[in-house]
Amino acid sequence: MQTLTQLILTGLQIGALYVIFSLGLTLIFGVMKIVNFAHGQFFTLTALLIAVLYPFFAGQGYSHVMAFSLVIAIGILASLVLGYLLYQFGFRFFQRDLAGSFILSVGFVLLIEGLLLHYFGGAVRAVPHFVEGSITVLNVNVTYQRLVLIFVSLVFTALLYWVLGHTRTGKAMRAVSIDHEAAMIQGIPYKKIALTGFLIATFLGALAGAVMAPLAMVSPTVGADYLVKGFIAVILGGLGSVPGAIVGSLFIGFIESFGGFYFDPSFANIAIFVLVMIALLVRPNGLMGNG
Amino acid sequence: MKLRNKIAGMAVLACSASLLSAPAFSQETIKLGLSIPLSGSGANWGIGSQWLCDEAAREVNASGGVKVGGKVYNFECVAYDNKYNAAEGTKVAQTLLRKDGAKFIAGSLGTAPARAMQSLTERAGVLMFTTAWGPSIKGPNYPLTFTQMNTPLELVEPLIRYIKKTHPDIKTVALLNPNDASGQDVEVIARRVWEDVGVKVIASDWYERGTTEFQPIAAKIAQLRPDVVDLGGAPPPDAGRVFKELKAAGWKGIQVVEAGTGADGLMSTGGDAAEGTYLGAAVNFDDPSATDLQRRLNEGVKKATGESVNAIQIGFYDAVKALKAAMEKAQSIEPKAVAEALPQVTFEGAYGTSAFGGKDTYGIPQQILVPVIVTQVQGKTLRQVDRLDSQELKERLQKASQ
Repeated sequence: MQTLTQLILTGLQIGALYVIFSLGLTLIFGVMKIVNFAHGQFFTLTALLIAVLYPFFAGQGYSHVMAFSLVIAIGILASLVLGYLLYQFGFRFFQRDLAGSFILSVGFVLLIEGLLLHYFGGAVRAVPHFVEGSITVLNVNVTYQRLVLIFVSLVFTALLYWVLGHTRTGKAMRAVSIDHEAAMIQGIPYKKIALTGFLIATFLGALAGAVMAPLAMVSPTVGADYLVKGFIAVILGGLGSVPGAIVGSLFIGFIESFGGFYFDPSFANIAIFVLVMIALLVRPNGLMGNG
Repeated sequence: MKLRNKIAGMAVLACSASLLSAPAFSQETIKLGLSIPLSGSGANWGIGSQWLCDEAAREVNASGGVKVGGKVYNFECVAYDNKYNAAEGTKVAQTLLRKDGAKFIAGSLGTAPARAMQSLTERAGVLMFTTAWGPSIKGPNYPLTFTQMNTPLELVEPLIRYIKKTHPDIKTVALLNPNDASGQDVEVIARRVWEDVGVKVIASDWYERGTTEFQPIAAKIAQLRPDVVDLGGAPPPDAGRVFKELKAAGWKGIQVVEAGTGADGLMSTGGDAAEGTYLGAAVNFDDPSATDLQRRLNEGVKKATGESVNAIQIGFYDAVKALKAAMEKAQSIEPKAVAEALPQVTFEGAYGTSAFGGKDTYGIPQQILVPVIVTQVQGKTLRQVDRLDSQELKERLQKASQ
């Protein structure tokens, strides 16, 4: 029973990170009908800046909380600026162009990863936990840092739901994702909504990088691993479906947890791909996709 | 006419002057290729290796270069990122051999990319040094391949026997290795040696390089409650993460990393959880007993990577020095001739006088003869706890001095 509880909690923790990451991916597809492979770079840039700047601010005498808050803010802001630049000088010319946006985003990945490798170096960096220590929940030891991850994921998922369901901008994004021409006829400023959606997605990618940084090994290539799993979650859940992205992410989290425990991490990775293939054979548009 | 004659005369004078001042030998450059990880968990190994190759090449060039057949050759190290996997290793191999025309590979780091490289170098007649661990990468079928560091066959047994001697009560061990050639090579040997010393292997698991989430596997290992966790071929950042997750899961025991190259990478991700870890591929050139050369190399690598030098990187320095000695012995820069001369020479490497041998083990003398050093993380620093010098090298040097 304790093992089962441990594995469920682990699955939730892993899935929580993928939820934040994949929500951004699915939002971009929903609003702009493009696939953004450079999404992992927002994740990476934020994590790298946190890893590099935290020791600097801590060394300048800032308290742990203040230093962390500052570097998270700087990291997310930097990613938002990057996202804005990628949109303005790239993606806005390829809206609703799946193939073109795919090629463009791959090009951006190569460029940004190369720049990050050049300026930050390839070595792995560690980030201290935001909150040290652990707590026993249902006889299972859980670190506070992982609880923070779950909390942040819950809060921002709920916030996104609220924005999409109860705000003018959110409703406009939903309208655009259903039928962008009809939405434009109704007076919805499509270009502004597309930019807003892209920046929200960028923020989510950056946020995922911020909460992941203390739990993983940060390097300029870290985004690539999460990008693959994030895409699997989005495709499994259904491109453009927010609930689908959540379900897909949790699915992957649980496979990693149970597969890694009962077999090993290598097997868990293979199992993810095999199960996704089976799921897509049964539901080609994803578990919650609508075609 | 007079002006034309004057100009012609000045031109002749200028040519004569340049001929008189020309060096006795003309200088050419020999490219030394490097296939190394420059990103990811193994990046510091690669960056440090590149620095050491450049440093050795600089020393060779500064001391007059390599003198072969009336010519002087300088060395130039050319490195590409193999990302520690076979696919990138293949691309790097193609680039070095086809585009750069390298005839010598001064180092190939990682068994998977080394195998990709070897599949080209042996056919193309290119001499390759490698840190690859597996015995399958050496042998009479691969006469142009030389190993530039101790492999599991040399270091696993002294390391494990030392641990068992120091902790006689240990009875069980769990192994975890990267799921590639490096990990597979060390797992086979570690499993055998643990069983030989009476410690039962209760689990042997694998993870993909690039994994960042180790909690599930750490939970599994912790639940088995092994006395020892042996992370074999895992690079230090990965190992530190695993030990951190094991500590969070409540496990306490003996921690071992055969490919453990230093405390810095281990502690950066493992923090306090790295304390007490035994490492098989680390050296402590901060120790008072270190030579001036060792200190200088250590300082240089620290500047380049932020971490102390380790046994994997040192081989890149030694390989360059070995090449110089072998080329001058063979009086040839043809890889096959150099390969025949390599086992016959001694050279001054980072550990002192070194050579290549290991014919009794591998059937052909392709293994660098350097000491095995066992270290442990104690109080956030690395301490040498045991050292085993190469018996074959000792006998050879004794014979040479008689």
